[in-house]
Amino acid sequence: MLALLDSVFLIPFDYGFMKRALIASLALSLAAPPLGVFLMMRGMSLIGDAMAHAILPGVALGFLLAGFSLPMMSLGGVLSGLLVAGLAGSVSQMTGHREDSAMASFFLISLAAGVMLVSVCGSSVDLTHVLFGSILAVDTTALVLIAGMSSLIVILIAVMFRALVVECLDPLFLRGQGIKSGRVHGLFLGLVVLNLTAGFQTLGTLMAVGLMMLPATTARFWSKRLEGLIGIAIGVAIIASLGGLLLSYHLSLPSGPAIIMLAGIGYVLSALLGRHHSLLAKRRRTATPLEAQEPG
Amino acid sequence: MSHLQLHDLQLAQGGRTVLEHLEGTFEDGAITALIGANGAGKSTLIQAIMGMLTPIAGRIDCDIPRERRAWLPQELPLDLTFPMSVEELIMTGTWPSHGALKGYCGPHYRQARDVMSRLGISSLAHRPLGELSGGQRQRALLGRTLMQEAELLLLDEPFANVDRETVEVITQVLRDMAANGTTIIVVLHDLEQLARLADCVLVLADGHGRWSTPAELIERQHGHPMPQTKPILPFAFPDPS
Repeated sequence: MLALLDSVFLIPFDYGFMKRALIASLALSLAAPPLGVFLMMRGMSLIGDAMAHAILPGVALGFLLAGFSLPMMSLGGVLSGLLVAGLAGSVSQMTGHREDSAMASFFLISLAAGVMLVSVCGSSVDLTHVLFGSILAVDTTALVLIAGMSSLIVILIAVMFRALVVECLDPLFLRGQGIKSGRVHGLFLGLVVLNLTAGFQTLGTLMAVGLMMLPATTARFWSKRLEGLIGIAIGVAIIASLGGLLLSYHLSLPSGPAIIMLAGIGYVLSALLGRHHSLLAKRRRTATPLEAQEPG
Repeated sequence: MSHLQLHDLQLAQGGRTVLEHLEGTFEDGAITALIGANGAGKSTLIQAIMGMLTPIAGRIDCDIPRERRAWLPQELPLDLTFPMSVEELIMTGTWPSHGALKGYCGPHYRQARDVMSRLGISSLAHRPLGELSGGQRQRALLGRTLMQEAELLLLDEPFANVDRETVEVITQVLRDMAANGTTIIVVLHDLEQLARLADCVLVLADGHGRWSTPAELIERQHGHPMPQTKPILPFAFPDPS
């Protein structure tokens, strides 16, 4: 039995590429879900998807200028993502259009530009790599970059945590204290871009957002408290990352999609069986008798 | 010496002057009722006092630090789906002065319990915001300003859509806060509330402000026939003749 467990859970991580993949995905699992929870709480779940497309042209440009250099591609991704976020915000402010419509327009332009750049100057293999990532090809440089960016994100979330909460809950309270909610919003979008850039090497630009949003939306079925949501989301991301890598190793599946699929299965199961708002919870829904309720 | 003074103030919204030549002193520890018709400039003046709107001309002298200023608008953009309990909301009142990174300590929790007890919402401490009635939510929000130890409190129609018990609780808490030196400015439309609560009145009409007293306004009101069971204040300046 022990030998079986050993061969299933431990032996795969004897390989260096699996160790690096595990560390990279765990680092992303700590940084991405809290951002996903805040995106979800702001009703901006699809903005993460839009931003994931927005980093593509920058990644493609970095690739064209320096080949498969993760630092250059990451730098390009961050700059491109921030540019699109800034442009969408500016167009929204200048025209009065909602930010999501401006963001949708710019992310489509970015996606087209990115795919065109990679297709014209690279190959279909390059495009697949950029779009879907290659977690098993994470080298030491990439690992340091991913771990560094993830650590920075976690630290900045901790620093901004209260401002983020107040901006979600009551932006007027934040403004009353002389803090412009637009700045907090901009910084938060910057963190989203940074996280997606950290994740594109491992999961690709299209699926990096999966590790951000799926654990967050799954957690919504299990907790009604912010700390609970963040803790559960991180737990789900870690389990999905670990399980996805093991599935990928044993069943020869692509690692990125395996991780996201596992997180997706967690979401579907939670929607069916979760503690709050799930189908099961709605069927079981009962009310506390009046005499047992707290007064007030 | 008053903490809040207006000097020949001119305020505008969207290129249109809303108020001009506004002068006056808000007494420390006094409750000033701000009255006026819709569009008279009540919210504009509140925004300016909160430092969210820059005057076109004149100035507002306010030496109360930002972290001790609190504003409860009538239509609060509060996200009620946000996973937060009443106690957690009240604790956010410590954030402006306590700092962004420090955790809560024993005195904070004790203070929050006292605040909830004063407001009669101790039993709701762990209830999510989305499950509160309008009156309970108003009490919780006032609890946040108590935690903030606000020295300047601005309220926009705090008695709108709340039950009688909440009106009594809020009135008492505001009176206690004023007695402790808090400068309170409250937008009111109800003559009965004005009579019970306000120490002085600033009437805004036709782009100008005029200072008055509750007694003077009530006397004026009684000179006119009562149009409704619940008397509504006249929002135009009375004819001097």
